[in-house]
Amino acid sequence: MNKILEKFSLRARLGLLYAVLLISSVVLVSYYSYWNIWQLFINSKTSHLRARAKPIIDHWLVDQGLTNPDSVQMNFTHQSALVLSRDLTSRDAVAIVLNRQGEVIANGRRLPEEPVAPAPDTRYFRKALSGMNEITYWSEVNGKPVLVFLIPLRPQPGSRHIFGVIQVSTSLADINEILFRHGSMQITAVAIILMLGIAFGYWLIGLSLKDLQNLSATCREIAKGDFAKRTKVKNRKDEIGKLAESFNLMIDKLENMFNSQKRFVANAAHELLTPLTGLRGSLEVLLRGAQDDPEATNRLSKGMYKEVKRLIRVCDQLLGLSRLENSSNVGKRRIVLNEFIKDFEQRGKLLAQGRQIVIQEGPLLTLMADPDLLEQILFNLLSNAVRYSPAGTPVILGWKLIADYVEIWISDRGKGMDNKTLAHVFEPFYRGKNENVTGEKGAGLGLALTKSMVEAQGGTIRIESTPGNGTTVFFTLPL
Amino acid sequence: MLVMNNKANILIIEDDPVITEFLQTGLKYEGYKVSVSNSGKDGLDMLRQDTFNLVILDIMLPDIDGFDVCRRIRNRGLNIPILMLTVKKEVSDRVKGLDSGADDYLTKPFSFDELLARIRALLRRIGKIRENKKIQAGSILLNTETREVRREGQLIDLTPTEFSLLELFMRYPRRVFTRETLLNRVLGYEYDGGTNIIDVHVNHLRNKLDDTSHRLIRTIYGVGYAFYTEE
Repeated sequence: MNKILEKFSLRARLGLLYAVLLISSVVLVSYYSYWNIWQLFINSKTSHLRARAKPIIDHWLVDQGLTNPDSVQMNFTHQSALVLSRDLTSRDAVAIVLNRQGEVIANGRRLPEEPVAPAPDTRYFRKALSGMNEITYWSEVNGKPVLVFLIPLRPQPGSRHIFGVIQVSTSLADINEILFRHGSMQITAVAIILMLGIAFGYWLIGLSLKDLQNLSATCREIAKGDFAKRTKVKNRKDEIGKLAESFNLMIDKLENMFNSQKRFVANAAHELLTPLTGLRGSLEVLLRGAQDDPEATNRLSKGMYKEVKRLIRVCDQLLGLSRLENSSNVGKRRIVLNEFIKDFEQRGKLLAQGRQIVIQEGPLLTLMADPDLLEQILFNLLSNAVRYSPAGTPVILGWKLIADYVEIWISDRGKGMDNKTLAHVFEPFYRGKNENVTGEKGAGLGLALTKSMVEAQGGTIRIESTPGNGTTVFFTLPL
Repeated sequence: MLVMNNKANILIIEDDPVITEFLQTGLKYEGYKVSVSNSGKDGLDMLRQDTFNLVILDIMLPDIDGFDVCRRIRNRGLNIPILMLTVKKEVSDRVKGLDSGADDYLTKPFSFDELLARIRALLRRIGKIRENKKIQAGSILLNTETREVRREGQLIDLTPTEFSLLELFMRYPRRVFTRETLLNRVLGYEYDGGTNIIDVHVNHLRNKLDDTSHRLIRTIYGVGYAFYTEE
């Protein structure tokens, strides 16, 4: 069943379900009301006829002297039965009287417009004879339905001595006609309601599902590569609205990731192609004839040497970034920080180019870290500090314990940077403007790499800087 | 082959020191006058102060980008040919470059030979250089179109290598070429045989030109060869 249903669209399935529910409820309700009306008609007719018959029978018993069981044998004759049947017969009902043997001893019908009595049914007759009151049943006269009820004749109410049965029948043709009219009206109404209801329901379902269809169309467009596409939902608070909202949010995130990846690749290509341009051009110029001039050869060769170094550095940093994406490349060991910093200070003196390295010693502590990465982090931050601060100013290195991690900082007295630069400083390939720095121009990967190295060890990194007042980089590492 | 009316003056706006270095050296070697600017603003100032025949413009500049420089040059009403250099290969970037007013576009890393060819094409368009298919040096007439060489009207049969060698010599009379440079220029950068092959070709050329006294193609001892017009 599910398999078959799955072949249809959600709209068709919901539509089908809706139609089935609508049809069954409408049909049930109308059948019930039809049956109720029918019951009402029958009951009212029955009680009306019985109510009319009762006093007539009571009168007749008295008039004919049948109240005494002993006089029944003598007084219950064809003649007296005929009186009763005629009294009970009218335009809409006909009465016949049967004796205990089931023989019709009187028929009240005299005029042609009075209804014809159906032949007595012996099954019901016996029941009446055995003392059952209130027998009502259906029968037919000339193919038309009639309602029949039997009243046992007894001298006194409750007497066991039943000397005959009176059968009153009435045509149901009028009721049938009314009910037929009512029924056909009801069927027409139901049909109209169903048609309108199903059409409206289908439209309503379609309306609800329209956004889903939009969503799937948007999905397809995005799959084709258009990441700028979003699905449009107008103030929907339901599940579909939420779905569309989450979908858009997800695509936003994906687009960002996709774009930053694209930017990264483009930037990496730029960083690799620029030195290659210098290399290729210099080589061609040399080969074309500049090699004949030793001075030009020297200049071009030095330029090429710089470009090769730059290429190697960029490649190293790119490899470093990709290696750090895999945390298994981080080899943590227990490090005594004080000793580690002292060792680093010795090696860092060469890098500091005459600047003093001031150590602001924190508490004696050990931490779990990758010594190579930590050294690389300190090295990168120190070379940045040296690069962006004038000769003769100190570079400060310190640490302190905060709860369960250590915060390490490297501070310079350089020119600092503005907020705009600060906001982008950890982005790969980002380089601040007006870079008149000491040393070679970087690819803008140093801080991005440093950040990755800190984060690979479970730490965080941030920068504080005021233009003209120097920069401090803080990073934390867990103990 | 190409005769310059006067030396074309080229402005390079590029911030990468190695790229400006080889452009400067290479273009000067080809006989152009070259000026260099390391930023867009300086470049625009230099354009105001001096007359240039062509601008080589990088897109990634430290201050204003190359597209902007290009638009500002055009807004000034300058019709100077602009050749853009960039790493970006996407069509949209090329369209953007050309739309901002550049005349031509080269993506890095480019071939220096192609750069030279594009510079020549741009200069030819503004009539800065006149294409002359015939080069005359004394009694020798070289036609680059028909690849024929005549001496006093007499047709001389040369191999393609010999023809290229003679063409190079005649284009730069009196310039001393090392064997290595001749090898690279005539046989291509990827030829990795010895330089003796150049001596062989030079000797063949001398014989065919009837230059037995080596007055035309002179041997510069310890260096290479130079071409002199007969006095």
